Parts: sequence; C-alpha cells; structure tokens
Amino acid sequence: MVDVATPVKWLLRLVAVGYVFFLVAWPVSFIVVETFADGLATLTDTLGDPSVQGALLLTAEVAFWAVVINLAFGVTISILLVRYEFPGKRVLSALIDVPLSVSPVVVGLALLLVYNGRTGWFGPTLESAGYQVIFSTPGMIMATCFVALPLVIREVVPVLAEVGDDQEQAARSLGANARQTFLRITLPSIKWAVVYGVVLSLARSLGEFGAVKIVSGNFTGVTQTATLVVEQKYQNFEQEAAYATSFILAAASVLCIVVVSLLRPKESA
Amino acid sequence: MSIQISNVSKSFGDFVALDDVSVTIPTGQLTALLGPSGGGKSTLLRIIAGLESADAGLVGIEGVDATKLPPRKRNVGFVFQHYAVFKHMSVAKNVAFGLEIRKKSKAEVAERVEELLKLVHLSQFADRMPSQLSGGQRQRMALARALAVEPTVLLLDEPFGALDAKVRKELRDWLRRLHDEVPVTTVFVTHDQEEALEVADEIVVINDGRVEQIGSPEQLYDEPASDFVMGFLGEVTRLNGINIRPHDIEISAIPGLAGATPGYVLRVLRVGFEVRATVLTEDGDEVSVVLTRTHAQAIGLEEDVRVWLTPAVGAAVVPAMAAG
Repeated sequence: MVDVATPVKWLLRLVAVGYVFFLVAWPVSFIVVETFADGLATLTDTLGDPSVQGALLLTAEVAFWAVVINLAFGVTISILLVRYEFPGKRVLSALIDVPLSVSPVVVGLALLLVYNGRTGWFGPTLESAGYQVIFSTPGMIMATCFVALPLVIREVVPVLAEVGDDQEQAARSLGANARQTFLRITLPSIKWAVVYGVVLSLARSLGEFGAVKIVSGNFTGVTQTATLVVEQKYQNFEQEAAYATSFILAAASVLCIVVVSLLRPKESA
Repeated sequence: MSIQISNVSKSFGDFVALDDVSVTIPTGQLTALLGPSGGGKSTLLRIIAGLESADAGLVGIEGVDATKLPPRKRNVGFVFQHYAVFKHMSVAKNVAFGLEIRKKSKAEVAERVEELLKLVHLSQFADRMPSQLSGGQRQRMALARALAVEPTVLLLDEPFGALDAKVRKELRDWLRRLHDEVPVTTVFVTHDQEEALEVADEIVVINDGRVEQIGSPEQLYDEPASDFVMGFLGEVTRLNGINIRPHDIEISAIPGLAGATPGYVLRVLRVGFEVRATVLTEDGDEVSVVLTRTHAQAIGLEEDVRVWLTPAVGAAVVPAMAAG
C-alpha cells in the first residue's frame, strides 16, 4: 500500500465514489424510480404489450445464439492464439480487436453490403438458396456476434497463457487424447475466464443497438429487439414503456454479474 | 534393449539442440542424462517421450519404432521439473488420471491409487489439493501419477531441480530406493554431477548436442574420455601437461620419487576435514592439491614450504589440450 495522508485519502475516495455515482448509479436509479412510479402497474402494462413481449423474446433468442457461437469460436481461437505458432497470427489477434474500435453502426452497414438480398456481394446467392440474412434473425445474430467477438477471447487468452501447457503435456503423456485433454485439463483451468467471457458477451448482446438496428430493418413485432423497442417507445412519447423495458434489460445484466460473484468465492475457498 | 536412439538430430531455428545422437539405454536401469544447461539433454528426453519430434533419426522403445507415435501411445511416464500437477484435482484424482483415461474399473483405480500413494508416502494427503502440498510432496505425487499407468519407461526431466538442497538430497536417495523396489527403466535428466554419480547405474554425458561419453559412474570418473567429461564430473587441476584430480596428487616434503615436480606452497585453505593447497611449480604452473588434515600436519604443510608433487598410482589423467 502507498502511504497517503488521511485528507488526501478521503478526497480520493470522494472523487471516485462521486464519479461513479453521477455517471452510473444516479442515472440508472432513475430508470428504476420511473419504472415503479405507479407501483407495478407500468411494469405489468408493458409486459402485456405484445410488441414488447415479442421484442424481449427476440432479444433473448439473438443473445442466446450469439453467446453460444461466440463461446465456441472464442475458446477455439484463444487456444489457437496461445498454443500454436502460425503465419498471420498477429494479424488475426489484431483483427479480433476491430469490433472494440469500430462503431456498431459501421458493422451493421458492412454486413448489409455483403449479405443484403438484392445488391449484396453474397446475399442474392444465399437468398436464392432460401436463406434470408438481412432483415431477419440470422443477420441480427451475426451483427451481435461481431460486436461481442473479443469479449470471450480477451478473457480466456491471458488465463490460458498463464496456465501454460505443462499440464496438457502431462495429460497427453498419461494417455489422454486431444478431446480428453481439453475436457479434463484445459477447460477446468480456464473455467472462470470462460464464465466471465460469457457473462460479458451476454450483457453486451442484450444491449446491442446500432448494428442490429441497421441489419434488422426495425420492423415492429417482427425484427424489433428490446433495445429498438426502447427507442421507439421513447420517441412515441410512451416513456413509461421505455423505462420499464430499460429496467428489464438492466436487471438482466445486473443479475448476470450478481450470479457470477455469488458463484466465484466458493471456488477459491 | 529398452530405448534406442539412432542418429537423432533436432534444431530450434538456428540453434542445434541435438546433432546426430545415438544412444542405447538398457532395460531396468537408472540412466542419467548429464550435461550443462542448453546441452540438449532435456530435448533428447522430450523426443523419447514424444513431446518433441526429431528432425531426423529414429526412436525405438522396447523394440517398437516409436518415432511417429504420439506421446499417449508410447506408454512412457513423464515427470516435469515444475511438477505439472493438475491443479483442479485432488492428489488421489491426479494419480488416478491415467487409469481413468484407460477406463479401468472404479475398484481397480481406487486400489491402485492407494497402493501408489503408499509407495510415495502420501497416503494421508489423498484428499488434499496440490496447492496444499510442499514442492517435494508435489513431485512425489507427480511420480506416482506417472507410475500409475505402468509405463515401460519412466522419464524425469530435472525432477529435483526446483527443490531446495536438503529436500533434493532426500528425494535423490529415495528415488534410488524406489527404483530398487520398482525396477522400471528410468531415464533422468540432470546438470548436477553429484546427483548423477550417486543415483545412476549408467551416465550419458551430453554436451553441445553431442554424446561425450557413456558409461558407469566409475568408468566416467576413472576413465574420462575427454577433457570435458573429466572437468564436468569433478575438480581438475594441471600437473606437467596432464589433467588430474587434485586429490590424486601425492604431495611430500622430501624429493622421494624420481620425476617428482618441485614447487612452493602458495596458499593453504582448510575446509572441514580436508586441506586445499595451491602449489607454484618451478615451471610456473599453479597446481591445486587436496589432502586430509592429518596428512597435511604430518608433512608440516604451510605457506612457502618446498614440496614435491607426483601423480598417484592409478589416477585418472587426461592429456591437457592446448595450453591455457
């Protein structure tokens, strides 16, 4: 610990707490306050609205598939990056960070250029084979995958590198094949990194707005996710419904983080 | 013959780790691969295990060509310098790993694990996690884990290198006794010549990617094939153009034998029961001599005394290479 004079210590604490309070806690608490201003009425009314119900279900579906796909690819790419040497490794590693730096709107537009059914580079071929990507669920899942791509990888890579490959070599010398080594040795040692990556991906996927807005076409009741509903309701002066939907989204994310922090201490004890 | 290495070469980029190495390791013995760090001995061990592949040459284990076999099909036990314990498994689970992979029945696994933990004196720690064990205990657990699969050969890569001196010595004695109990063909890598001389039946000296000499500890010590082997296995000094061990020089205060080299004592250093003297000969060489304290007292050894040096009868000597 650095030895700091007591007044400075208190000042630093005040600044840190004040910053987080005014930026995060206070605004978010207003969502809660607004949602429950009339008791549970706003919440139940909103949940009774079919367009909100549909949007929540669609968000859940898109987020679920995006997380599953990102989990599978994220763990595979992490192992590739840490355990193997190949030409172009640094380029791949750099590409993975692109979604963090590029605006989601750009991502949506890029996907539109490639996959749209009329003038896209690849879209017409897919459409004639019976797959509609843009203005449909697959496109929304792709957009969500894209923006959440680095989250699993950036959690898993450092842990995998720190654990080293000693244990994996020992397992192989004891007769384990690649699948057994992965399931019995590698996966248990990166378990918590994977869980964190999944939670972050889930939170990010639930909240995705820009990319999804472009590729979905934002058709009410058809390709409208929860975040798009929030925007539409707000612009239509249905503030209560917008607050209630926001509350549900925020609550889901907070729940994820709470569940993880409850699970984790048991492991280290 | 248990392990046959024929003309194996291996490079890492520009660095040649092994250069056309051929060694035969006999069944049932404890063989040490001895040499300085970076000499290629660990690489050779990893090639035998299949954890590294040779650029050229063949590896045979118990008469089977294993050159292209993956490690899991070679039936070797491998013990790593830094233990490579499975951190998320209990001690018993670690030892059981190889058996569970081989789909043995639960009863059989439990029985074998118990037997092995007893062998390595860890029975009371069966349910602990590896993080609760000391370094020496972890390495014994790793040894039990490797032995569980009844390997044809047991390979140990600097197994005691990460332990402190006392534990190291204990484990060394214990490994020797264990090998007498469980006579599996064992190869261990070490850079510690004392460890090799004390534990091994046979020593392979490896330096600069090449085998310098193969032989029993006595052969290596008494009949070193080169300057390098002689220097690596113990202290060496130079007397009249030959390399000789300091304790193989007879020192006397009277010119007894013909051909004795005269000189003056420069320094005398007593370490416990032995006395180390440095003698400046009339040719200008500084020669180290080791003798017992009683002998030193008997001949009145002290600084500036004139003495005569002769190589002891039957001493290991190697002609010195270029002057230096």
